[in-house]
Amino acid sequence: MKLLIIEDEAKTASFLKRGFSEAGFVVSVALDGADGMRQIQTGGFDLIVLDIMLPGMDGWHVLTWLRGAGLQTPVLILTARDEVPDRVKGLELGADDYLVKPFAFSELLARVRTILRRPPVREASTLRVADLELDMEGHRATRAGQRLDLTGREFTLLSLLVRRAGEVLTRTLIAQAVWDMNFHGDTNVVDVNVRRLRSKVDDPFPRKLLRTVRGVGYVLENPERN
Amino acid sequence: MFWRTLREISPRAGRPGRASLALLLTAWYTLASFLVVTAATGLLYLGLANNLRKISEQSLLDELDVCRALVRERGGDSQALHEEVEIDSAVRRYQKFYIRVLDASGAALSTTPGMDRDLSLSRLAQAAEGQPGIFWIDSPGGAPYRAIVARLTPDSTRRDTWTLQMAVDLTQEQVVLGRQRVWVWAVLAAALIFCPGVGFAIARRGTRPLREVAETARHISSSTLNERIRAEGYPVEVAVLGEAFNAMLERLEESFARLSRFSADIAHELRTPVNNIRGEAEVALARTRTPEEYGEVLASCLEESVRLSELIESLLFLARSESPGDHLKRTREDLGRLLTDLRDYYEATATEMGVTLTASVGDSVWGDVDRALLQRALGNLVSNALAHCSAGDGIRLNARRQGGQICIEVRDTGSGISAEALPRVFDRFYRADPARSRNSGGAGLGLAIVRQIVYLHGGDVQISSERGSGTTVSVVLPQSA
Repeated sequence: MKLLIIEDEAKTASFLKRGFSEAGFVVSVALDGADGMRQIQTGGFDLIVLDIMLPGMDGWHVLTWLRGAGLQTPVLILTARDEVPDRVKGLELGADDYLVKPFAFSELLARVRTILRRPPVREASTLRVADLELDMEGHRATRAGQRLDLTGREFTLLSLLVRRAGEVLTRTLIAQAVWDMNFHGDTNVVDVNVRRLRSKVDDPFPRKLLRTVRGVGYVLENPERN
Repeated sequence: MFWRTLREISPRAGRPGRASLALLLTAWYTLASFLVVTAATGLLYLGLANNLRKISEQSLLDELDVCRALVRERGGDSQALHEEVEIDSAVRRYQKFYIRVLDASGAALSTTPGMDRDLSLSRLAQAAEGQPGIFWIDSPGGAPYRAIVARLTPDSTRRDTWTLQMAVDLTQEQVVLGRQRVWVWAVLAAALIFCPGVGFAIARRGTRPLREVAETARHISSSTLNERIRAEGYPVEVAVLGEAFNAMLERLEESFARLSRFSADIAHELRTPVNNIRGEAEVALARTRTPEEYGEVLASCLEESVRLSELIESLLFLARSESPGDHLKRTREDLGRLLTDLRDYYEATATEMGVTLTASVGDSVWGDVDRALLQRALGNLVSNALAHCSAGDGIRLNARRQGGQICIEVRDTGSGISAEALPRVFDRFYRADPARSRNSGGAGLGLAIVRQIVYLHGGDVQISSERGSGTTVSVVLPQSA
């Protein structure tokens, strides 16, 4: 997958490049709008990460030009401004998603993957990570053939982690996806729930699947794959 | 001088489309008072002229009666009449009468000396044709006369009738009226000079408080917001303006003070995490360390950054919610459902702490609210309640309709908040317990955000607490909200 990052702030561009490269993307960086447009014309990118506040030609301009040229390359906008009119403007101009600085890199990665996955493939009725198996229709989870006794919410949480196995999910994202809570208070609600889930999914087994990523969130993955 | 002062009264007087109030007032005062003076003097003049006319007419008629009586007494003795006429004209100085008596054939029996000189007799005779009463006649000499022509019968035995022509000189009347006219013009001229002056003085006096208010206003800047307009002694209209102005200054001063306190708090809150990041990175780079140590430092820096991000997000939320405009995305929500969702979310945490968390809703309560924001507000309240609870305590969420309002309560049996801290808990960056570290207490913006969200919904939030027995927070939203 080829990614173009148009970002004038060198530090941001640099960590984005490293992060995406390590996640398996081929990354090009453009430090201004004009360079970005030049690169778009030459290389077939799968997705463009576009900063709005660029010197000279801003991100809106690049986006307008891109859609005007009939290119349907998905665009994810990064910006430090998150007033609602800005979001609306971005989406109206044909951006696919919108992320406000400061953001968690894991969230950016997750969103990029989501855009690239569209349209979503039909979800399998059984999801598997290592010896963990989720029967999505029967709402049953088994590990090493052993039935796990989970509450409804715990199953929802586990299926979220399994469906996005390998991705680090932030607490905000988890709270939103599992409880439909659009905020992340200063309490440890998500941590408590993950801890409880872990006591059922991981604690009885030698191989640990659920990992805490400090300062970011949680990820479920098969440790032997890495 | 006049115009310069006008400009001083109203600095904008020179701008197009902006009339000076003092100028307008002066103009209207002048016009009104001048009209009054003109009307008064005009009426007085007309009244005087009318009275003089009546007096001369009365004397004319009187004189006519005298002559009639004389003729009747003397039975057509034209000699006696002649004497009478001569004496009369010789004695009178002020109001001169002219009398001429003609017999039936038209021959003059008697004539006041000089009558033919002063008056045109043919015109008198001509003017008398068809004029039964008193009439006005000009003389060749220019003086006006008032005249009357009457017929009289000198003797009941005689069949012929005499004609009596009588005129009175109006020169004196004209002199009086002329003198009066001079006075009228003098008064009008004086009024023309005097009225604008007085009008201007009144207008200037009347607008002086306004000028003083403007002067005070001009001097007030952000550093002198404590200045006030002294409205005592001003007329009531200006005093009201002054009071409104002072009230506005009061609010401005208060929000300025709050703003600067707020900025200081922000700087302080930002300083701590930035300092941590800086210090940790600096110390870590001072010498070579193991990968684990690096990892630890990086993770710690990340945590601090996340805290910074959350702080910034909260601050932006507060800042934005204070700017005017409707920020709410209202939808019709089942508030009972909202509370049970919140209970579900916090249940695991509460259970782990040994706190019972319950949500009770009587009848279904619906409201038009911004779901995400209200969820955030109530979530903050539950978080706060949890922070004040320990094992064995309970938290109850409750929503009910109360009159025309919706009342949502978060009641806990936790440690409570001290009476002196209570009024300030909704202030930004205020922490009831200074000893509580930022790690457990957040940045102290949670309740400020709650209040802001409730205000956005047009509602109010109240808190009551007792040390040791718990806290109740009530959010009251208008039904239509």
